[in-house]
Amino acid sequence: MYRRRMNAPGIGASVGLVLTMMAGSAQAENPELSFVLDGFFKSEDSALSERGKGFGLGHTEVSLSSAVDDLFNARLTTVLESHEGETELDIEEAFVDTVALPFGLGIRAGRFLSQVGYLNSRHTHADSFAERPALYRAFLGSHYFDDGVRLAGLMPVPFYWQLGVEAFNGTALAGGEGDPAIGVFTVKSSWGGDLSPASSWQAGVSYLRNRLDAVQEELDVDTDADEHNHSHDAAYSGENLYLLDLVWKWAPQGNVRESQLTLSGEYLYVDELGEFAQDGDVQKGWYASSVYRFHPQWSAGVRYGEVDLKAAHGDHFHDQSLKETDVMLGWSRSHFSQLRLQYSLQDAQGFDEANDTLSLQYVMTLGAHGAHEF
Amino acid sequence: MNSRFRMLLLCTLGLSASPAAHASLNILACEPEWKALAEELGGDRVQAESATHALQDPHHVEARPSLIIKARDADMVFCTGAELEVGWLPLLLEKSGNRRVQVGDPGHFMAASQVERIEVPQTVDRSQGDVHADGNPHVHLDPRRLLTIAEAFSARLQTLDAEHAEYYRQRLSAFSADWTEAMAGWKTRAESLSGKRAVVYHKNWSYLLDWLRIDTVGDLEPKPGIPPTSGHLAELLQITREQDADFVLIANYQNTRGARWLADHSNIAMLELPFTVGGNEEAEDLQSLYDSIITLLLSGG
Repeated sequence: MYRRRMNAPGIGASVGLVLTMMAGSAQAENPELSFVLDGFFKSEDSALSERGKGFGLGHTEVSLSSAVDDLFNARLTTVLESHEGETELDIEEAFVDTVALPFGLGIRAGRFLSQVGYLNSRHTHADSFAERPALYRAFLGSHYFDDGVRLAGLMPVPFYWQLGVEAFNGTALAGGEGDPAIGVFTVKSSWGGDLSPASSWQAGVSYLRNRLDAVQEELDVDTDADEHNHSHDAAYSGENLYLLDLVWKWAPQGNVRESQLTLSGEYLYVDELGEFAQDGDVQKGWYASSVYRFHPQWSAGVRYGEVDLKAAHGDHFHDQSLKETDVMLGWSRSHFSQLRLQYSLQDAQGFDEANDTLSLQYVMTLGAHGAHEF
Repeated sequence: MNSRFRMLLLCTLGLSASPAAHASLNILACEPEWKALAEELGGDRVQAESATHALQDPHHVEARPSLIIKARDADMVFCTGAELEVGWLPLLLEKSGNRRVQVGDPGHFMAASQVERIEVPQTVDRSQGDVHADGNPHVHLDPRRLLTIAEAFSARLQTLDAEHAEYYRQRLSAFSADWTEAMAGWKTRAESLSGKRAVVYHKNWSYLLDWLRIDTVGDLEPKPGIPPTSGHLAELLQITREQDADFVLIANYQNTRGARWLADHSNIAMLELPFTVGGNEEAEDLQSLYDSIITLLLSGG
């Protein structure tokens, strides 16, 4: 939550005073550099997971962000991932934001995390559990980012109502043939407010239109030592994807320093699965999560989720389903370090790799670190 | 963009884009002390609201939807700065889309930037804990600095709402006179506190203790931002006894557990002080906040 700034020790207070009269701090690092290190140990492989058993590295991020000039901000996030001795370098974010459009509107262009759902636009290092819920892993490749453009803004009403529209290539989502210039559109509307000084809520409705042809072949996303598919591409698709999200947070007297309870849940519905789909062929998923930080340094959480999937096999579908329960205990020395112990139970049909797994994980953030969204 | 939507947007722009269109200036304060000061200096020309209340730790606040809306509608934000709100204010301002209150705009006013800060670290390294590179931000508990901030803030009001500059000047001179008189009273009342020794929880009180010439002998946090551990408390008990500390000071939003333990084991008073306006029943405004703090300190010394 905090960013580090280089301080010039030689600048005396009186000079500093003059320098900082208007701007608050004239000594901000420019651009700001941040790193995220993520490492884990996992006792078994598990269904729909990007993380294999044994020791491994998760998202290793290097991120640069800065104001470009008075009209633009920009950010670059590169992700290093290591799989069986091979290191991949991927650009997860490379975008430009406008900061001076009228009516409080903002345009983001480049590569960025889509606004859909609650978790998608958040960085995984801020998550409370070791992996995203199954519905995210199945449909959004854990976190859907793509090349495109977004227009978003607060509606001119006295309460919180944000609307956003996005257009993307769509190549990061599962799809078969077909290559329209704009493969994916999304629309999101979210609302939020306070229920009392101690509790707040936020709710969202998202729609994602996938114009690419539906998946024809089953993709192998199970982590497998011999034949590992470590692409981030989502494995399941459909023309229309609907997401509902709801989050509620509570802290005694609104003081989130000492403790905080966070309840969140999302529901997903996907239809129009392609030319071989029958009318009743839809895919669904949901999860509900409860995380209680009962001490400034300790948190415990439980999450339950289900997905009902249709794996495409040429001209027909195979039904698959996965029920998942995660129990987590986390400890943070400071805001910048996080250790996590998690036990996950999987109850699956149609998956080979479903297992109950124990995970140990660390997430360390170094350098400048932007604030987390609500 | 269809014409109805454009009309709606234009209406909103008309309502909120220029401060002149308002009957009064809409001020979003980050902490209650700045809301109180804005009201003292702005009188009925301002509408002030605080993003946090006295029982919240101002370091740890979330940029939640209700605050985003308040930031969108503000003509001015009045915050502490010096990285106190770094975990939420930048995001709040970004999400608000409000062009009047961004860094560098006249509607962006940071109190700590108006005064010299103490405890500015020579180097910043996170192994030292959550250190603010711009120095200790908790400047509102030094009444001399508060007066400097009041002068700068009033000057900003006079610029932003030039039409009523004379009104703001008058309010400032009334405030300054009252405050200067009150300061002399506090100084006399607090005479006997000079030279006392305090154990603190976080460097919240540095400016206050500096002003009252109370020495700090220990901190319940092993490193800034890290809650008390049992090992650190045991060490602190030793120090408290050796240094003959007079009291343990905590803000009323902080956890009392470690402070209570230390106070009980070393037989000294634990004083739960209001950190800002609204922190206890007595602290209704800035003057009564200082009155209450001094009364409590005298009771425990």
